[in-house]
Amino acid sequence: MKIPWVLTALVVVAGASGQSLDLKSLDKLSDKAKDVTVNLDGSLLKFAAKFLSNDDPDQAKVKKLVAELKGIYVRTYEFESEGEYSEADLAPIRSQLRSPGWSRIVGVHSKKEHDNAEVYLNSGGSEPGGLVIVCANPKELVVVNIVGKIDLDELSELGGNFSIPKVDVDKSKSLKPDTKKDD
Amino acid sequence: MSHLEDDLRAALRRQEPPADFAERVLARLNQAPEPSWRERLSVLMHPPRVQWVAVAVMVSILLPTAAVQYRKDMEKGERAKQQLLFAMHVAGNRLHQAQKKVLESSRL
Repeated sequence: MKIPWVLTALVVVAGASGQSLDLKSLDKLSDKAKDVTVNLDGSLLKFAAKFLSNDDPDQAKVKKLVAELKGIYVRTYEFESEGEYSEADLAPIRSQLRSPGWSRIVGVHSKKEHDNAEVYLNSGGSEPGGLVIVCANPKELVVVNIVGKIDLDELSELGGNFSIPKVDVDKSKSLKPDTKKDD
Repeated sequence: MSHLEDDLRAALRRQEPPADFAERVLARLNQAPEPSWRERLSVLMHPPRVQWVAVAVMVSILLPTAAVQYRKDMEKGERAKQQLLFAMHVAGNRLHQAQKKVLESSRL
């Protein structure tokens, strides 16, 4: 079921490469967690999009969505136990998100499950930004940074209906320098 | 034996060329026809065998190299595609979850 986006910002217009966050502060968490890192900059994104099939409905949707993107950066960490990362690890990222242009459009904090989800947009001025999603719970941390023009409804729809199998990102064959190899 | 020597000596004795010999040779040289454009083109189109060998060697080196490069590009593209699908899946999924939580909290 398609849930209508409750916010008015249906389309994030973002184009400047300057809106990609510096996520290096998270690198040290790789030693403590099962992690996946994806760094797709503009050229690699275009290259990857060429390999998407128009015949596959899901891939065709992705192809349409990424057409105007300038970059996608993802960090996911799954920890064995709670307390292996702290708010301090996220502080440098939050600091960047406090800079002009960025605004938090969603902030959900579940006290019961200690589950937090935040969505930030940068769409201000002549230097439009991008989208950042930060999801954190005691044993998992996910940070997504999308730079470029993207339809949030369509992106959310992908999350609800995307039928691709779990993608195994083979980190031993990571795309240097774009994909970090973990241990 | 001396008969043979006499014959050889007679056969190899120096003889002066006719007086107009040099003129006739020069005249013949001047009369030698130049190769036509077709003959020249034919030479270009049919290079010596050694050139064909060089071409074959180059092709045998370049073709496998190009094939390897093509395969590497395809592998790189396929990996990038997998990463893109994964990234979009994660982004869409997390956005969808946040959206659901906002709706749930707004209903409370």
